[in-house]
Amino acid sequence: MTLLGQKMPNVSSAAMAIAVPAGAAYDPDDASGAAYVTTEWAFRGAGERDTRALNDALDALGCQRHESVRSRHVLFSSVQLGRNLHDVLRIYADIVRRPGLDDTTFEPARALVLQDLMSLEDEPARKCNLLLYEKFYPFPLGRCIYGTVESLKSMTPTTIREHAAASFSPDGTILAVAGNFEWEQFRDVAAELFGDWSSGSPHPANTRPAQNGVTHVEKESAQTHIALAHPSVPPCDDHYYSARMAEAVLSCGMSGRLFTEVREKRGLAYHVSCCYHSLKDHAGFFTYAGTRPDLAQKTFDVTVLELRRLEEGIEDHELDRARTQLKSALVMQGESTAARSESMISDWYHLRRLRGLKEISEAIDGVSRTDVLEYLRDYPAKDFVVLTLGPQALDTSIISE
Amino acid sequence: MKFEHMQLNNGLDIVAEVNPTAASMAAGFFVRTGSRDETSDVSGVSHFLEHMVFKGTHRRSALDVNRTFDELGANYNAFTNEENTVYFAAVLPEFQAPLVDLLCDIMRPALRKEDFDVEKGVILDEIALYKDQPKFRVYDGLMSAHFQGHPLGNRILGSTESIEALRQEGMQAYFDRRYSPDNITVAGVGNLDFDAFAAQIADLCSSWTPSRTGREHFESHPPRATSVITDRKVSREHIGIMSKAPSCQDDARYAAQILAAIVGDTTGSRLYYALVDPAIADEASMTYSPFDREGVFLTFISSDADRAVEATRIAASEFQTFAESGPTDTELEAAKNKIATGATAKGEQPMGRLTAVGFEWVYMKQYVPLSDDIERLLQVTAEEVVEVARRYDLSARTVLGLGPLESLS
Repeated sequence: MTLLGQKMPNVSSAAMAIAVPAGAAYDPDDASGAAYVTTEWAFRGAGERDTRALNDALDALGCQRHESVRSRHVLFSSVQLGRNLHDVLRIYADIVRRPGLDDTTFEPARALVLQDLMSLEDEPARKCNLLLYEKFYPFPLGRCIYGTVESLKSMTPTTIREHAAASFSPDGTILAVAGNFEWEQFRDVAAELFGDWSSGSPHPANTRPAQNGVTHVEKESAQTHIALAHPSVPPCDDHYYSARMAEAVLSCGMSGRLFTEVREKRGLAYHVSCCYHSLKDHAGFFTYAGTRPDLAQKTFDVTVLELRRLEEGIEDHELDRARTQLKSALVMQGESTAARSESMISDWYHLRRLRGLKEISEAIDGVSRTDVLEYLRDYPAKDFVVLTLGPQALDTSIISE
Repeated sequence: MKFEHMQLNNGLDIVAEVNPTAASMAAGFFVRTGSRDETSDVSGVSHFLEHMVFKGTHRRSALDVNRTFDELGANYNAFTNEENTVYFAAVLPEFQAPLVDLLCDIMRPALRKEDFDVEKGVILDEIALYKDQPKFRVYDGLMSAHFQGHPLGNRILGSTESIEALRQEGMQAYFDRRYSPDNITVAGVGNLDFDAFAAQIADLCSSWTPSRTGREHFESHPPRATSVITDRKVSREHIGIMSKAPSCQDDARYAAQILAAIVGDTTGSRLYYALVDPAIADEASMTYSPFDREGVFLTFISSDADRAVEATRIAASEFQTFAESGPTDTELEAAKNKIATGATAKGEQPMGRLTAVGFEWVYMKQYVPLSDDIERLLQVTAEEVVEVARRYDLSARTVLGLGPLESLS
């Protein structure tokens, strides 16, 4: 288990994030959704406390908490005043090391995840993007965290308890704190709480190739939702900063190419954007546009052409703007204790070290136009995985032209 | 932390909370206008106008506006609600002057006909976007039902028909009346030079002519009705429950905020234990929304259709129990601590603090340091919370269901 900390001046809050290597990629093949059910179940009593005592204890400390299930990790995040940090950490030590996981509380935990899965039907944009992750990344790295109706219904408390025992493990767990706290004291408390935590034996996630291709999900929705992805480089790659510059030219702010061409000049869609997303060894540019069905074909074609046009050339002013945007965003995110704790986790997971502001800033300054164009030659806008959701399928032949 | 205020001769208020230790600065124009200030012939104009403000001025094209924001590395956006239209941005302190120049400039948009026509398509698409979001449809429908006959029931986006019918001239007339300097507050927060900030705004905005616009006030009379919108394309039943609450101007707003957290926060609240913990609903939360001399408590529930009636009944019984017996000491302390943590963490970033400083001036014409605000919150007693629950009668409510069901009774 790794401890990371960054003390920040002039703040009262301390944000804590714990990444446990129990993400959806490790779900047993016949129990997809296991990570999410485990996370939901873990808050229903831990250590000496039952459900209510546990939640009341966190609430009494003023925790603003959030859990998210990701590909490789379950992330527990909590923001509180610095003076409450150690007490909060004691409770989280119970949650990750001594979750109750009693038979009596299993059913509602599973039922809630099942309802979340059903809720996706009422959130077409989110559903569209989740399905795209699943198709783009090698299975099971992009697996839908909610599982399936069948997998959820067939789960038993025993399956999930065994899964939790194996995957909630110090080996690969990262605990990060940013804000108003004292490192030495925090380190000592963490050592006391986690020092004797022994490893489980997580199931390896064996991957198989992504499904790729074009998929249409028919739905009588008011908008047609268009999501497409093409490959990029992960954060450990030498071209990483070039990729982020290319992403910024395409989609940062309101003068990015996609927003300008699709929304501002043509009024085709309210929302169009391209976001970089990565796992440890895989990454992609994920583009999304939602539009009225009669404009969907045109929106799709214009979007693909814009993504492709990038490799034809980039103007100096576009690069300058991208640089300023990336560097400003870095400083402003750095004012949030929560953002800092999570970026430390991300750095450590991807790079095994922490990057300082100066290093990132210099790396952004060091990216030349040639670097970006070279990156785009190696990772052009092709080999798209496409997912559309709406009343009618689109003609996607343009992607193979 | 130092508070500054200046008013121009034309009525434009400039306020700032200066914090030299911050890494960034944020600034925003708070225009006191929204859907409640619209007449039915221009329904949706406030929000459409918000889009048009980014479409250029006599000095800048639409592309220039977007490009300049991005060249400053700004984190920027705008929003329109029932009573305010707010334009805001955060930048590194070195970009203060160009940011102020840009914000002041876009507040006098050219409203060109050709941009108006293109943007109309974007607005129509935004309306379609929200049609795919049941939760938004419930909010929209519930506000209309609860504020029947009151302008707070006006729809923020307007409708497809009202937007298609809207003309540039109608928008211009609305702009001339509502974007009057005496109806606008400029707020700055963070690491900024106030003297330069105020001088530059005075230089760029003193020529704006005031229209002496205002806002009509009369009390709402919610019908306390239950209705449903049956839509079998929606998978789950989405239920909204609305009742009266203290206004922005009422000191009881602190107690109201605590009441909503105890009854309906997303963790550890009465509704959480009654509905989410046993998985009767996957979402059950109450928020408090104060408005100008009005206010509402809004409860939102999402459940399987076959448990929706039960969920609504349980929520009603929780409201009643709470009004009868009030909070426990533990609940009161937890709610205060949670709200205080949230406000503290948000206040640590200039962008997070901006709306609090801006709206305090818009509604109350006062400045309240974050520490005083939290102090007042911590002083709220159980009696004050119970008093709000009784005075505002949580059982006198408007209910709207959206989903497969044909009835909620």
